[in-house]
Amino acid sequence: MKLKNLFSARNILILVLLAIATVIPIVIRDDNYATLLATNVLLYAVLATAWNIIGGMGGQLDLSAGAYLGIGAFTSGTLVLRWNVTPWAGMILGGILAMGLALVVGIPLFRFKIREVWFALSSAALVEVLRVAFTMWEEVGGPTERLLPYYEWSFYHLRFNTYMPFYYILLVMLLIALLVNYWVRRTKLGYSLLALSEDEDAAEVLGVDARGSKIKALLIYAFMAGVVGGVDVCIKGNLSPKTFNGVQSTEVAILGIVGGMGITFGPMLGAILLVSARELLRARLGGGLEGLYMGVYATVLILVALFSPRGIAALLQDAYAKIQARFQRKNNYERPADTPGI
Amino acid sequence: MSDQPILQVSDLTVQFGNLLANQNISLQIFPGEIVGLIGPNGAGKTTCFNAITGLEKPTSGRIILKGVDVTGWLPHKICKLGMSRTFQVTRAFAHMTVAEAVRVGAYNRHSEKDVSEQVEKVMEFTELSEYRNKTCGDLGLATLRRIELARAMATDPEILLLDESGAGLNTIELSGLMNILRRLNQEVGVTLCVVEHVMQMVMGICQRIFVLDSGELIASGTPAEISSNSKVIEAYLGRRKAYVA
Amino acid sequence: MIFQTALQSLLDGAMLGAIYALITLGLALVFGVMNVVNFAHGDFVMVSMYATFWVATLLAWDALATPLITFPLLFLIGIIIYYTIIRRTLRHSYVIQIAATVGLQYFLRASAQVLFQAQPKALQSSVVQGSFLVGNITVLNSRLLAAVISLVVIVLVSIFLSKTWPGRAIRAASDDLDVSSLMGVNYQRTYALSFGLGTALTAIAGGLLMTFQQVSPVMGVSFGLLSYVVLAFAGLGSTIGLLLSGVIIGSAETLTMAFWDPRARLLVIYLIFIVVLWVRPRGIFGRK
Repeated sequence: MKLKNLFSARNILILVLLAIATVIPIVIRDDNYATLLATNVLLYAVLATAWNIIGGMGGQLDLSAGAYLGIGAFTSGTLVLRWNVTPWAGMILGGILAMGLALVVGIPLFRFKIREVWFALSSAALVEVLRVAFTMWEEVGGPTERLLPYYEWSFYHLRFNTYMPFYYILLVMLLIALLVNYWVRRTKLGYSLLALSEDEDAAEVLGVDARGSKIKALLIYAFMAGVVGGVDVCIKGNLSPKTFNGVQSTEVAILGIVGGMGITFGPMLGAILLVSARELLRARLGGGLEGLYMGVYATVLILVALFSPRGIAALLQDAYAKIQARFQRKNNYERPADTPGI
Repeated sequence: MSDQPILQVSDLTVQFGNLLANQNISLQIFPGEIVGLIGPNGAGKTTCFNAITGLEKPTSGRIILKGVDVTGWLPHKICKLGMSRTFQVTRAFAHMTVAEAVRVGAYNRHSEKDVSEQVEKVMEFTELSEYRNKTCGDLGLATLRRIELARAMATDPEILLLDESGAGLNTIELSGLMNILRRLNQEVGVTLCVVEHVMQMVMGICQRIFVLDSGELIASGTPAEISSNSKVIEAYLGRRKAYVA
Repeated sequence: MIFQTALQSLLDGAMLGAIYALITLGLALVFGVMNVVNFAHGDFVMVSMYATFWVATLLAWDALATPLITFPLLFLIGIIIYYTIIRRTLRHSYVIQIAATVGLQYFLRASAQVLFQAQPKALQSSVVQGSFLVGNITVLNSRLLAAVISLVVIVLVSIFLSKTWPGRAIRAASDDLDVSSLMGVNYQRTYALSFGLGTALTAIAGGLLMTFQQVSPVMGVSFGLLSYVVLAFAGLGSTIGLLLSGVIIGSAETLTMAFWDPRARLLVIYLIFIVVLWVRPRGIFGRK
């Protein structure tokens, strides 16, 4: 890599953002609410970035983030509650089990020539179905909320008296999610997914395995969501079927769409903007008008769908390109003035 | 040319509800040939292509590619075995660049290591290198046709089916396409089967021609034989009425 | 004893299924014609139910009479939503299309929560009260009437689609858009008509449901899911198939509630959904 590329404007921007992100929790460490907010933003950022693989690149409207999150939560939580197994192992196992669910869902729903809408519908229903199933499943607690054992500061149990460590764990996860996005996009899977979302028939005759590619994308996303679930249960400190939350799942998709589908940093941007906005709304309007913030989200989604379907990140990219072009034109224009003697 | 057909279609019948789109079609294509599939509109040529490449399920009959029975196979598996196709209405990957579109096909038989090389080779062969970073959705018909061809070529097929690639092209664009096809057949050794209405192309490059009418195969032979075949003429022009001179 | 419970459940389920079929008919209209998936359809039912409540309370009408007002009202709402939202998303990817209706869904839900609060609302009483016995089976008047009316409406819509010009335009548009527009079918207006009609049909279903049910802002979820499962089961192209599918799904629901666990009805319905898509994606009675 040439040295000039290494220090390109984009890479410097990334490093600066990374530095800021690393420093934030230290700055706000005395404000517990702010730290929780920042941690929540990161949580959604990871989920939305993972969603991008099946949603943005795969072109599938998945509304079941909560399903995989919940599986991860229940795996991790139950292992801690019953057998005192560390959530570090629990979250990995949770991710794997979430992949199992993804396989069960993906195999019938991603067959070639099945209308894509059925997957979207199925994913919307999946979260509710799991919530009911886990509410009925007495062995893992049924409808009751089970509290995780409390520790002042335990890395083994992933419990602390502050949210700061969770922030950093999720920050690392976000970086991993971004890298996975970046990597997928540049390899066969990414090209296959993009081609499939453009024209499935044409892609298939070119050798793209429609079902296999979509399932792979779903598996990657499900694993990451499951791992996040394993962490989330420790952040919340309790385990309940309410984790299978349809509204939250839809929110993840909204973040992905509004932020910018298919663009690596798009969903992350959506998360930062919308989740912060949502919390601010909640703080101002109070919990009374519970429906209101969802109404605002809904309006934003509709507006974006109608007027800027590529998302905010795409708008930024276009703006950046325009600025670059104008800058270059400015440079070109000044050269003739240097020519002497005219 | 070996004596074993690379593609053998036996008694292909495709029925949609009450409509018999293809009826008992049998044909053989030998390696290295360029064959044409012609017939009036609605004869069932595209349906035949769809059935051969796995996009439609045949109601009955067999498709045998390189000696393997691929009837009912998924299109991507058929592509892996060595057969690819282009579409009648160009199905561009509108939001991808030309290079990206070709790359999708290139992954069929190439791994990450040499896929870029394959993309370059194919774009050069089809004279698309200058368009490599242009978005497909912004390009004109003739270029889109070549992109379709390039994409399919990138899969390293042994037999390539082309569905009306010549339609809508002017004379210059058409001879350019025919040149590329000839080179593809002679230099790279790809067997070609073209569905065409443009007679210049059919007569110009095909060595053998199959004629479909109303879902049935009514004639096959060399261009000279076909153009003087009364059944073919009837199919295109209708039955000759007796004229009183 | 079990046999009797089963019979009772089957009857209840069948009657319920007729209403489900009516709800799904509106959905099939939109899906079949425009290939648009309206995620908010279930919430249209919820909106209809609230509209019924509002009209009935305001004018002291019986729930059964409210469609006189709610039908045209919802038709209008459907047309407006088509022109403002749906039409613009048609040229984008299906994710965006669905996303817009998901936004609509949440918007409707949020509006209902703000306007009516979260507590369920129900109508006091209806002309159709009481029940009668057939052997050992209890038949509730309200359910029976609802089922019969649903049936009648479904038949009427069927006739509309096959015998009238706008109806046939709708069918033509769903078959082949290019050819039908060549034949003078204004596809924009046909689309709007389909969407309006599909929405308006929920008004009738809403009115019927309010004779024996209560409404809350979150009801849209289950109606939405139900109608989609019925649609997946039925497939497109057969009205009888739609009716049968509604009856089968309704019965499956009531049987589950009687013999397993009322909470499990969602599980069973979802299972049916997955199995149908696995075994026959076109729908059991589907033609395309």
